[in-house]
Amino acid sequence: MENRFMRNRRWKAGLLFLAGVAGLFASPTQSAAQGGDTITIGVVLPISGREGKPGQYQKEGVELAIKQINDKGGLTIKGKKYHLKEAFYDDGSDSAKSASLAERVMSTDNATAVIGGYSTALGEAESVMPDRYKTPWLTPGAAATSIFSHGYQYVFGTLSPVLLLGSTTAEFLGYLVDQGKLKKGLKIAMAVENTDHGIDYVNGVQDWISKHPGYFTVVFNEKFELGGTDFSGLLQKVKAARADIFLSDAHLQDYITMQRQYLQSGMHHQVISYGARGPEEAARKALGDGINYIFAGIWWSDKLPYPQAQKFINDYKQFTGRAPDSWYAATAYDSMRILAQAIQQAGSTDKTKIRDALRKAELKDSILPGTVLKYGPNGQAGYPFVIVQNQPGGKVEIVYPKNAATGAPIAPTP
Amino acid sequence: MSLIDYLDPLVAAVLLAGIYAAMSIGMTVIYGVMKIVNLAHAGFMMMGAYFAFELFERFHVHPVIGALLALPTFFLFGMAVYWLLVRWLPRSDQPTLSSLLLMFGFWLVLQNVALLIWGNEDQSILTPMTFSVIRFGPVSIATVRLVVFVLAVVSVVVLQIVLRRSWFGRAVRALIQNPYAAQITGVDDRRTAMLSFGVGIAFAGFAGSLLAMLYSFSPDFGRQFLLRSFVIIVLGGLESFSGVAIGALILALVETFSILFVQASYQPAISYGLLVVVLLVLPKGVAGLLEKKWRVA
Repeated sequence: MENRFMRNRRWKAGLLFLAGVAGLFASPTQSAAQGGDTITIGVVLPISGREGKPGQYQKEGVELAIKQINDKGGLTIKGKKYHLKEAFYDDGSDSAKSASLAERVMSTDNATAVIGGYSTALGEAESVMPDRYKTPWLTPGAAATSIFSHGYQYVFGTLSPVLLLGSTTAEFLGYLVDQGKLKKGLKIAMAVENTDHGIDYVNGVQDWISKHPGYFTVVFNEKFELGGTDFSGLLQKVKAARADIFLSDAHLQDYITMQRQYLQSGMHHQVISYGARGPEEAARKALGDGINYIFAGIWWSDKLPYPQAQKFINDYKQFTGRAPDSWYAATAYDSMRILAQAIQQAGSTDKTKIRDALRKAELKDSILPGTVLKYGPNGQAGYPFVIVQNQPGGKVEIVYPKNAATGAPIAPTP
Repeated sequence: MSLIDYLDPLVAAVLLAGIYAAMSIGMTVIYGVMKIVNLAHAGFMMMGAYFAFELFERFHVHPVIGALLALPTFFLFGMAVYWLLVRWLPRSDQPTLSSLLLMFGFWLVLQNVALLIWGNEDQSILTPMTFSVIRFGPVSIATVRLVVFVLAVVSVVVLQIVLRRSWFGRAVRALIQNPYAAQITGVDDRRTAMLSFGVGIAFAGFAGSLLAMLYSFSPDFGRQFLLRSFVIIVLGGLESFSGVAIGALILALVETFSILFVQASYQPAISYGLLVVVLLVLPKGVAGLLEKKWRVA
């Protein structure tokens, strides 16, 4: 009797546990191809967890490109039509899961190529798989130079290096000095995430400063862990540094948390930037006018004047029912388009031939800054950044480079 | 850094300790009475955050009122969870694997329910108080942090008074000290356990509602606070209510001041390093140490 009672209790506890665990495992989803021969494109991105929102945008970018390609009849290889089929996995913003799903899609699903790795940490985890399985892998969301410095042969990155983001940000600050908006010799405090992304950003800023003596001095430089909930201690140190400019490099969630605590600390700097984060809708929703005057260096802006960029915005709106939020969908969209172009140019579904075609590929109607997307010898793209600023009234203006500017920078922060 | 520069972190640490105490005390009540390590504590905190959010978004209820409303609501929720699930667990005076699995599973269920209802999107509560700052000379204090601190401290003090003065409180303390003797003297352990579980969950929901005023949140919210709660209750001595307050203050001071001297990226290592040290050197926490000193004296 006692044993049966105990078994009953254990059974109930076990059932509840299993119910919870079952929720953890998202099943792979496959987009419907329109009959005939198909080419499987693996997509491993986070649509849950802390990177869920940008990951969702990137997934939508890839899916929009796939839909457009399939709507036009698919890809023609040696006279035969192929439709693209997406095999999607949600890595839940977990590095270990990201790597194992990339491996799974390359081996079990035998994907012809894989698009994946939003954020440097997840991208780094996935990046070890492509050479092992001789499968081209394109990341639309990881930009740390470390990923592209291992000599991997099947790894391609659609984001320009974060090093360039850092130096472009410093260059923009120098431009503000030259414009008379800031004084020369201002002090900079930097707090960056403890990843290769953060390290590259700092190196980029310092590289520019060392080449342009007299403009700025870095008086504080520290790293913080990803996914922090309380940055008040770090911000106290920033406050104690008594700098004029505050530069951070953070992912979306940390940017929102840190900016909230920054405002609560009563601090004020002449310029504030969170690297590639700033104009996101989630930040506007969470902080309202608290994100005004923040500068961000980004890989794409909906203000870019190219017709193809405007067409992408309209198509994306039709596809998802909302406008693109910051740059996330754009780089994923072009990753898929350049991959499709390379598959067609390779004239084969042979993965090594596609890899070789990607090395030579040039997407001449790219929606990204400069309108041409191509990969460098290390596999990483290298187009220019645009600096945008959140301005009152919910506006986001391109403020640098001057020839692409849609508005004047407001600096110092009022 | 000047002396003034240390004043800001000191104030920040004290304010942080208040919310740490409020979020950990519920866990202590449940562990003390039932010897259940409530792994679902983070899930209840997350639900508390969404509770305040929904009241604010739908009915424009100020989050302070929302947090106060969370106390009775989550008390009932906690009692319902106890009645439906927890009472079936085998009785033990030690934490059991089945209780750990049950609470862990329930946390996952809560997370997935939240995902279904609110999606993965981060939410936050934005009021005019959110970015308001009060300045006392060189020290600036975020109004919202001060409000959260006051609410947290008052709630912990009220709970202490209830535990010291009421029959329920005496029953809880008796069960913590010696469950068998308590039952012999007429304490209804099942009823007390249900009420204790309700109180524990009420404080988890309340703390979640308070935290929602400070941070943005998603269904994954609460994980890091759960780990901090572990550190605090171990520091406090697992079953001591006053120990929780001391543990919360120690953790907040260590977290805030340590990063003035080391890189902020080492902050988690410092917190959990502290947990390891306490487990090795003071397995009964600060409360155990004070008890020992008291006996010696």
